[in-house]
Formats: sequence, C-alpha cells, structure tokens
Amino acid sequence: MNNKRPFVIAKRISLRVYLLIVAILLPSFVFAEEKIPVFPTSPIEVYTVYATLALLWLGIIGLIVIIKMKLNEIERIQKLGIDKEDSQAPILE
Amino acid sequence: MIWLKFKNWFEERYDINELKKLAKSKLVPRHRYDFLYYTGGITLFLFILQFITGMVLAFYYIPHVDYAYESIIDIVTKINLGWFFRSFHHWGAQLCIVFVFIHLFGTLLVKAYRKPREIIWVTGFFLLVISIFFGLSGYLMLWDERAFAAVRVATGGAGNLPVVGSFIKIFLRGGTDVTGETLIRFYAFHVAILPVLSLLLIGVHVLLVQYHGMSVPVSLENKQKAGEPFFPNVFYKDLMIWLVVLGIVATLAVFLPPEIGNKADPLAPPPEGIKPEWYFLFMMETLELFPGTIYGFNGETIAIICVTIGIIFFFLIPFLDRKSNRGEKNHLFTIIALIYLIYFVATTIIGFST
Repeated sequence: MNNKRPFVIAKRISLRVYLLIVAILLPSFVFAEEKIPVFPTSPIEVYTVYATLALLWLGIIGLIVIIKMKLNEIERIQKLGIDKEDSQAPILE
Repeated sequence: MIWLKFKNWFEERYDINELKKLAKSKLVPRHRYDFLYYTGGITLFLFILQFITGMVLAFYYIPHVDYAYESIIDIVTKINLGWFFRSFHHWGAQLCIVFVFIHLFGTLLVKAYRKPREIIWVTGFFLLVISIFFGLSGYLMLWDERAFAAVRVATGGAGNLPVVGSFIKIFLRGGTDVTGETLIRFYAFHVAILPVLSLLLIGVHVLLVQYHGMSVPVSLENKQKAGEPFFPNVFYKDLMIWLVVLGIVATLAVFLPPEIGNKADPLAPPPEGIKPEWYFLFMMETLELFPGTIYGFNGETIAIICVTIGIIFFFLIPFLDRKSNRGEKNHLFTIIALIYLIYFVATTIIGFST
C-alpha cells in the first residue's frame, strides 16, 4: 500500500501542474489577438504561390544560362578580334 | 516585318548608330575592386522596381486617416496579388537602402569621390537621404501603432535640432503632433515630391558617371588592365545580377511578408519594445550613449548635434580629402571611412539585437 503512495502523490502533482499550465495558457489562446493574414491562407493558393516562385527561379536560371552563353561567345569573338568593322573591306557596288 | 518598318521609321528620324557607337566605345576599368561598379546598377534596378510596385499600390491606397489602415488590409486580403505587391515593395525598399549604403561605403573606401567626381558624391549622398526619407514616409502609410510611434520619435528627434529643429518638426508633421495632416504630407512626399527629386538626381548622377567615366582606386591607377566594353559585356553581367536580385526580392516577399499591427491610436501609449527601422538604429544607439543632461544642457540635443556634425563631415569628405584629389594615397581618410563603416554596422547590430 505504502509503495503506491509516491505514485499517487506524483499523479496529484502532475495533475495540478497540468491544470496550472492550462489555466495560464488558456486565456492567451482564447483572447489572442486576431492577426491580419498577410499571406494567402487557402492551401491551393499557398501551393500556387510556391509553385510560381519555383518557376520564377527556373526562368531566372534559364535566362542566366542563355546570357552567360551569349557573353562567352561575345568574349570569344572579341579575343579573335573579328568584332571590329574592317575599314579595308571592299565596298560592294 | 512591323518591327523592321518601325526601326527604319525611327532611324530615319533619329541617329541611333551614334548612341550604339557611344555605348560600345565606353570602357569599364578592370581591377580587383570592379565588383563595386555593380552596386550602383543594382540600386538603380531596385529603384525601378520600387517605382513599378509603388504605382500598383497607389491604385488602391487611400491616404486618409480613417481609411489608410483599412485600405492596406483590403490590398493585402482582397486585391489579387495585393499581398505580394505590398511585400515586394517592402523588401525592395529594404534592399534598396542596403545597396545604397554598400554603394556609398564602397565609393568612400576606394575614394571614387575624388576630383573631378565631387558632384557625383553630392548627388549620391542626397539620394541616400531621399531613400531614407522614402522609407520613413512609406512606413507611416501603414498607419498602425508601430509606424505612428516611429514617426513620432523620428520627427520629434528632428525637432531637437537647435534653431531649425522646431520648424522641421512642424513642417514634417503639419502641426504640433503626428495626425492625419502628417499622413497626407508624408503621402505627398512619398508619391510626388521624393520620386521627382530622386528621378532628377538619378539622372544627374548617371549622366555624370557617363561623362567622367568609372573611377579607378589611386593604388591601382598604374596597374590596371585594358577596360571591358560596357556594351554588351558589362551590360550582360548587370542583367544577370539584376535577375538574381529580382529572384531574391520575390523570395523574401513570399517567405517574409511584413506584418500589420493594430491601427494607430494617437491617445494610446506607444507599444513596448518599439524600434525604429534598421537604418535609424545607429542614431538610436548614439542617443542612448548620452546621459539625460550634460553640464545643464539637454543630452538628446547634444547627441543630435554630434550626429549632425558627423553627417556633415561625411558629406564634405570629397572637399576635405585634398591628398586624394591630387592623386596621392591618403590613409587618414581610409581610416576615417573604416571608422564610419564599423560604427554604423556595430551600432546597427547592437540596436537590432538588444
């Protein structure tokens, strides 16, 4: 009988602690200020936003790759020195 | 076909080839600090983004004390993509000010302000002031309790300046306190006066950069390699950086949309733990360093005078650094620039973390 006593006390204490926590937290949940949603709340809209952002980044990466390739080609031509107008070139009549 | 017709029509009237030749003949110096040249381009790009998103927001915003807050809630909750444009405008503004500071401190450290580019520095400095005032005036548009308290503190701080302080305070507030009049004034500044001034200054700034060409640090003047053509080489690099910046602003706008607090109540006490925007934190920390009274004088007034002197000295650096103007190295002004940079960064971090 006496062996069970510490468990009973512990149970009572844990119940009290639990009730205390609930008593402290409950008002904060009940009377919490309603935050103005600054981001879409419906799951479909959230999914659309994230998917669009991913597409935007894909587009950006694609454009950067294209511009970089173009830039490499320009630099190659500049290195060869064939980007400048040839003043000695014969004029077609 | 239509495009070709239009091109011919245009070329018959205007000599574009001259412009093309000019763009191709413009060379950008190549050296180890040439990454700093891109910060100006990024700032310009962010300014353009701010103009576009600001115009979209202006369609729906109502600059009236009774409807301003509600109109922003409508923009965020009812208008298609309204939340995104507001968030984009917010983050665009933050990054714009960040890059203005980076551009400014970069210019200061490599001494790009030296003769004959003093006016470029002057226009850049005024563009920084305008950017900060853009931020402050835009912050009040929200008309929530934090914005209200921040503007009350900022305009009150300006009021502590001797002689002109009270005039500035009343001029900005449109009265003795922050009211609906202040909102209308700040709106006028934000959408009319500041954009016109900034467009003018950006025009002069960019034009003078083209006129003088890019500055090269004194220590690298004799070591520089052949320049890189602005068009198309540097222009394409600019374009790639702008795309990344666009992605970063959009990502920040999606993941960190700015919150909206409670509506401003002029009679309510300011909310606890209120902080100004990050670019005012250095000023707030400086004010906190000073005691309430110093030999019978108001400590806050003395602090604001000290900050003003510091800012005026900063503005006059190109005219004071005569050694750099002669093309000689000047370590004193490098140290001064570093002190300014370290003080600004340190006080901003301290203000942010406390």
